Amino acid sequence: MAKTYDYLFKLLLIGDSGVGKTCVLFRFSEDAFNTTFISTIGIDFKIRTIDLEGKKIKLQIWDTAGQERFRTITTAYYRGAMGIMLVYDITNEKSFENIKNWIRNIEENASADVEKMLLGNKCELEEKRQVSKERGEYLAIEYGIKFIETSAKASIRVEEAFFTLAKDIKAKMEKKLEASNPPKGGHQIRATDPQKKPTSWLSRCTLL
Amino acid sequence: MPDCSVNYESEIEDGQNKRAIKCKFCSSVILTPSSACFQNFEFDLPLITQTKNNDANPETEHTSLFWVVKDMFTFYNVGFSNAVGNTKFLTCADCEAGPIGYHDIPTKISYVALTRVSHGST
Repeated sequence: MAKTYDYLFKLLLIGDSGVGKTCVLFRFSEDAFNTTFISTIGIDFKIRTIDLEGKKIKLQIWDTAGQERFRTITTAYYRGAMGIMLVYDITNEKSFENIKNWIRNIEENASADVEKMLLGNKCELEEKRQVSKERGEYLAIEYGIKFIETSAKASIRVEEAFFTLAKDIKAKMEKKLEASNPPKGGHQIRATDPQKKPTSWLSRCTLL
Repeated sequence: MPDCSVNYESEIEDGQNKRAIKCKFCSSVILTPSSACFQNFEFDLPLITQTKNNDANPETEHTSLFWVVKDMFTFYNVGFSNAVGNTKFLTCADCEAGPIGYHDIPTKISYVALTRVSHGST
């Protein structure tokens, strides 16, 4: 069967628990007697599709969602990651301070050329803000990464953040491919060999 | 919302899904048209809502109408649960409603239950 996408990017969402990394539009309500089957076993990853510059891009996204602390996240978790969203909660000072710890953890465990981006989430809660936008911007400049404030409620900017990260990964990948394999006229650069049978995403992450 | 199990045959065209497959609750697109094959077999799928303190023995229901997806990256938007034995359960990527189906780890094939999703235009 023909492949239905042009690129596949493995992304990680990283940050303290409760920063609202998952953009939830609607959730099943739980009460004293009932729970949902999925919330009991937990979600491993999500697959999302975006259109970027005429290309179909599949994002496979892992969310640490508070199950783990940065001390317990090691190399295995970062293996194959092409992009990392660092998420903090603008109403929670501690989650912002911990970003530095997360970055250190990434530097120690992830591939050096992994694309990173900083997200200040919950910007709809202006009255509870503890971290100014300027501090977020400053931190991002310090680490040479992009920064955006998002709101899980106004999901548009969350999407924008994913687009930006995907765009940067795509650009980096194309640059690398071009460097190792100069394109001939009209040659299309592909992250994956369309002739090959799809294998696991691990073997497809050619950058790493 | 029309119950697709009542009139599911009209959703099949050349053995595939004629229309987009969406979340029943938030309309998030799960599969685009003509991206899954229809198959009829029996599977006990856990109910979306469970009684508390019954994790070891979740309530299930007989499900028999499925959309089959061979490559997980065919999905437009979907969530995969943590593994329970050889199975991962599928959810809506947006509202996390589920299981809407399951993924068989050894064969890497995914099955979306027709009764747990809606069908419509993208």
